[in-house]
Amino acid sequence: MSFELQVNGKRHTVDTDPDTPLLYVLRNELALNGAKFGCGLGQCGACTVMLDGAPVMSCIVPVSVVGARPVRTVEGLGTAAQPGVLQQAFIDEQAAQCGYCIAGMIMRAQALLDQHPAPTDEQIRRHMMPNLCRCGTHMRILRAVRRAAGRLGKGQAKGPA
Amino acid sequence: MTGIGRRRRFWRWLLLGAALLGIAAVAVMWRPALAPATVMPRFEPGLVERGARVAALGSCAACHTVDPARPFAGGFPIETPFGTVYSTNITPDARTGIGGWSEEAFTRAMRNGVSRDGHLLYPAFPYNHYARLGQDDVRALYAYFMSRPPLAAAARANDMTFPFGFRPLVGFWNLLYLDGAPFRPDPKQSAQWNRGAYVADALAHCSACHTPRTALGGPDDKRFFDGGEAEDWYVPALNAKSPSPLPWTREHLAAYLRTGIAPGHAAAGGPMQGVAENLRLADPADVEALATYIHSYLVQAPARATPATRPGSLPAPKADDPDLDRMRLGHQVYANACARCHDAGRAESSGTALPLQQAVALYDPDPRSLLHLVREGIAPPDGEPARWMPGFGAILTDEQTVALAAYLRRYGAAQADWPDLADRVRKGKQ
Amino acid sequence: MSALLPNPGRRGLLRAGGALTLAFAMHPAWPQGDGKGKDGGLPGSLAKEPYLDAWIRIDADNAVTVFTGKAELGQGIKTALLQVAAEELQVHPGRIRLVTADTARTPNEGYTAGSHSMQDSGTALRHAAAQVRFILAGMAAERFAVAEQDLALRDGVFDAPGGRRASYGELLAGRRLHLRADGKAPLRPRAAHTVSGKALRRVDIPAKISGGSAYVQDLRLPGMVHARVVRPPSQAAQLLSADTAGVARLPGVLKVVRDGRYLAVIADGEYRAVKAATALARAARWNLPASLPGTRDVPAEVRARPAQAMPILERGANQPGGRTVSATYTRPWQLHASIGPSCALAQLVDGQYTVWTHSQGVYPLREALAELLGVDKKTIRCIHVEGSGCYGHNAADDVAADAALLARSYPGRPVRVQWMREEEHAWEPIGPAMLVEAHATLGADGRIASWDYAVTSPSHNNRPGKAGNLLAATHLARAFTPPPGKPIPQPEGGGDRNAIPYYALPNARVIHRFQQDAPLRTSALRSLGAYCNVFAIESFMDELAQAAHADPVAFRLRHLDDPRAIDVVELAAAKFGWNSYKAAARRGRGFAFARYKNLAAYCAIALEVEVARETGFVRILRAVAAVDCGEIVNPDGVRNQIEGGIIQSASWTLLEQVRFDERRVQTVDWAGYPILRFNQVPRQLEVHLIDRPGAPYLGTGEASQGPAAAALANAVAQAAGVRVRDLPLDRARMRAAK
Repeated sequence: MSFELQVNGKRHTVDTDPDTPLLYVLRNELALNGAKFGCGLGQCGACTVMLDGAPVMSCIVPVSVVGARPVRTVEGLGTAAQPGVLQQAFIDEQAAQCGYCIAGMIMRAQALLDQHPAPTDEQIRRHMMPNLCRCGTHMRILRAVRRAAGRLGKGQAKGPA
Repeated sequence: MTGIGRRRRFWRWLLLGAALLGIAAVAVMWRPALAPATVMPRFEPGLVERGARVAALGSCAACHTVDPARPFAGGFPIETPFGTVYSTNITPDARTGIGGWSEEAFTRAMRNGVSRDGHLLYPAFPYNHYARLGQDDVRALYAYFMSRPPLAAAARANDMTFPFGFRPLVGFWNLLYLDGAPFRPDPKQSAQWNRGAYVADALAHCSACHTPRTALGGPDDKRFFDGGEAEDWYVPALNAKSPSPLPWTREHLAAYLRTGIAPGHAAAGGPMQGVAENLRLADPADVEALATYIHSYLVQAPARATPATRPGSLPAPKADDPDLDRMRLGHQVYANACARCHDAGRAESSGTALPLQQAVALYDPDPRSLLHLVREGIAPPDGEPARWMPGFGAILTDEQTVALAAYLRRYGAAQADWPDLADRVRKGKQ
Repeated sequence: MSALLPNPGRRGLLRAGGALTLAFAMHPAWPQGDGKGKDGGLPGSLAKEPYLDAWIRIDADNAVTVFTGKAELGQGIKTALLQVAAEELQVHPGRIRLVTADTARTPNEGYTAGSHSMQDSGTALRHAAAQVRFILAGMAAERFAVAEQDLALRDGVFDAPGGRRASYGELLAGRRLHLRADGKAPLRPRAAHTVSGKALRRVDIPAKISGGSAYVQDLRLPGMVHARVVRPPSQAAQLLSADTAGVARLPGVLKVVRDGRYLAVIADGEYRAVKAATALARAARWNLPASLPGTRDVPAEVRARPAQAMPILERGANQPGGRTVSATYTRPWQLHASIGPSCALAQLVDGQYTVWTHSQGVYPLREALAELLGVDKKTIRCIHVEGSGCYGHNAADDVAADAALLARSYPGRPVRVQWMREEEHAWEPIGPAMLVEAHATLGADGRIASWDYAVTSPSHNNRPGKAGNLLAATHLARAFTPPPGKPIPQPEGGGDRNAIPYYALPNARVIHRFQQDAPLRTSALRSLGAYCNVFAIESFMDELAQAAHADPVAFRLRHLDDPRAIDVVELAAAKFGWNSYKAAARRGRGFAFARYKNLAAYCAIALEVEVARETGFVRILRAVAAVDCGEIVNPDGVRNQIEGGIIQSASWTLLEQVRFDERRVQTVDWAGYPILRFNQVPRQLEVHLIDRPGAPYLGTGEASQGPAAAALANAVAQAAGVRVRDLPLDRARMRAAK
């Protein structure tokens, strides 16, 4: 079946089964590496992308329900040569060990910053909970989000609660 | 008698009447403060441990613990038709909790809904149930709570609609609904049943959710166990009106109460999750008794033919379905988003789930519970292994959600449509 | 220096990428001698691969390529090795291309494991690069007829007086340095370092934050097909029937494979492969016997299994009298639980296999695959491509075997096999359950007078090597048998890693009770036995300190001789504020120290927790670590590894245990096997490093696992008022603890 998708501001037409999770469409049909297969069960967040501005687990989003709603992946935030604010913060904090969870973390965090440009430490922690990191990079991820918030928000990002 | 004399007499009677009413009103609405206790008694470990088990049966933590790192510090928002009430800090903190409460003050709060300083508590705190506790249970609870580590957590201001912010009005509610009579066992029933009845009424306060409320928010005793609502979930009836598509056995019910899961029945979701998390810490014999008692009501539900006896993949809509477009959309959503897990039938892992013909939420008279489940899923408590359904709130549009719910109602449960479905979907989104 | 004239008679003509090999024969720049380093053996992995051009290649256009047999596991080794090479070669790291583990191109450095990478590869590269620089300096001096000290070197270019210059590439003119290393070339002094020792940014991170191709999971090869395997419900299960015909007709299915108990589908699309595998699983009937002991009482089950007692320390004599303390500590079965389930690609073309794998050891894997496929290993090339963090021997080798087998079933096209979450959780080689029994007596002087310690554990190493170590091999019709588990000898150790305390104990006996059998397949999980042994020893030290009425830190210092150990202990305690700490209600502090394997990095950790007894919830408030890993190459890399190790260890310690009943594994996803989430990571975490310039590199990847567990257990004991000796300290256990 044919589906029209809007991903990172571009229109794509893909031909796939309607129950194919968006994750596989992004990775295979659209050759986007950011969203990753971690569990396929909506439990780890490695596949996190934004659907109409909200963070979702793309491994449980069938492509057939997406419709015209815009999809945003980490590729849409910036490139290695020209990273977006949050991506740059992750580089500055060297917030990665194996890095497999990081694209999902970035999308999850971006969704928070889009709504709350100056979150408290407690808000960041709670917001990021659906995403797992097995390497233990949590401290740096939190620092990266705070750093980006500091750059985005007009005021300072509030300190640790 | 002159006209003036008659007028004066009228006014005197009126003033007297008003004064009497005033005294009655005060008697209804006002309670004195009780002096703080200066010396805390020593509690024997046995009593404290008993109190822990009683508290588990009462599911105190379900409302009074929000953050597992701060047990009983309160802060849980309970939505009522009269506003939002926040649970309070019941650790023995002197300033922000129940530190310095005597056993008398604690008992008065439990039985009469009066705080130590005399202010009336909202019946979101189910003291009209705890009123039937035996005093030894109250004492055990007192020992338990007064020996918790004190945590500083000031009560959050409630958000009540006018005029219910005026607490003394609760006095009138108490007149209508607070029955101080002690629990009376039924001699026709077994000891286990009676124990279950006591646990259900005086501790677990099942009917606080499972019995409908009157317009004034009191229990509608004429419709005992007819079902109700809690935190915007529909709460199923536990009697002949039980919507459960499959009958409950007593064993399954006991397992469900202890673990939140029973074969052939949906996993505990929403407010019931908190209940199961607490009951698993209670004395298993008490949970068995509770199951015996509740089951005696559930067993009254007549056997009915439902699709639940033929679980499996849900069918495509019939070609002559009057609502074909919507049913097709719902079927498509089900087949593409739900079937992967729900067709598989429940097994150990979370990628396998109850066939939806057996999901009680589809048989409820209103769709609220189903909508919560679809949007929020069922998440395990922090850091503990449990079942897990992901939430689809951000994944499905309103239109898709309505279609899915309508399709599941018709082709999963074979029940009449929910009349207010679209409205509920729209309102439920926060 | 004498002239370097290539001897045509002895010039080797080995073409590889257009470069000629030059064998220096007549007048080498320095005596070739026996090629031995100071200690009688070449430093690091040079001992296994002494030729310089195996490590470093400089093309005519001055492009520099450096080869390592180690693999990037997310520990930052690529960056660190680049720094080492860049420093000694004096070439900008951005200009160096680093090629990692590839059986066709790089030295064989065995496994990337055991925190050996810096010691093995880093050391080798350092000396090789220094020697290359030394040779090239000699060539430049000869060319310009100047003394070496008149040359300036910057970014691979020599400047001679009079404005003359020559780059490395120009000097070598396409020839390869096919020379044996001797480990004698002078290394650049630490004080002059500009690259090594600095926090150079990780070279792999930019791609990872922007969706660049970074993992084996991202490989997209032309003509690639997708495969999924259907595993038996347990290792003992027997396949009764499998109706494959229906599955073969599903959309996109190219082939259904059945070989004994091994079932798989190959499809033209990834999700079609997933669906076909689900259908195949439903179409299979298994006999599922009760073959497992269950996990209701893991310590009892560990005790019940036979063990072979192997003494590893016998020092002094048993001291009678004095205050005796005894304790038993246990660890459950635990998972690597890599966030990205294992993945591999393989292709069979003209009798040649290429396997893209995140295995920690491409050379040993190649051996095992050769045996599995019944082919000469020369027909197999294994290329390391990064996977998600593996933390030891996870399913990386198993999925490579799946890919190779399925490539054989479907030759010509690249076959991509991606394990599912449930597969990884249920089938990866797991961290073994262990049991420790400790007894000690305290003398009147408050010191430990005697120490008796026994650790019981099955094997921590079932790495391929042998085909029987590959999961698929045990399911084929012609099944391979897993070789019997073997202990790893001291001083590395397996279950007995770090079982010998680093403390100065005049009378001590340590026994390793090695168990050949285990109900599930076990293998190396980050720090191996050290996690449990350090947890046990450091918990026990606290219990002894309490019996001696001594402060836990002071008690440890009383028994430490090594000044580097004393330094990390004192630093961690000082930065934590140990001596001025006052425990508030529900809170406690804990301390632990270990030197990984008693010969690698030193790590001391102090931390504070808060425990809610009613819910069993443990919160880490603050963690402070002090680390000495010898000369530091990338300080941020060290910090990252230690932080990560502390958090991962906290997750193991507070949450993790594998559960199985009599028939099958029950912990098959994150719901059943929760790991630490953001709400439970520490509020504050600091790592303080002690740099030791000139000292050998010491691996840090595993140094914090054990100390974190013990510091946590000790802190929880104070906060909760009760000591729990059985891991994990999960909520159920903490609620029930008395």
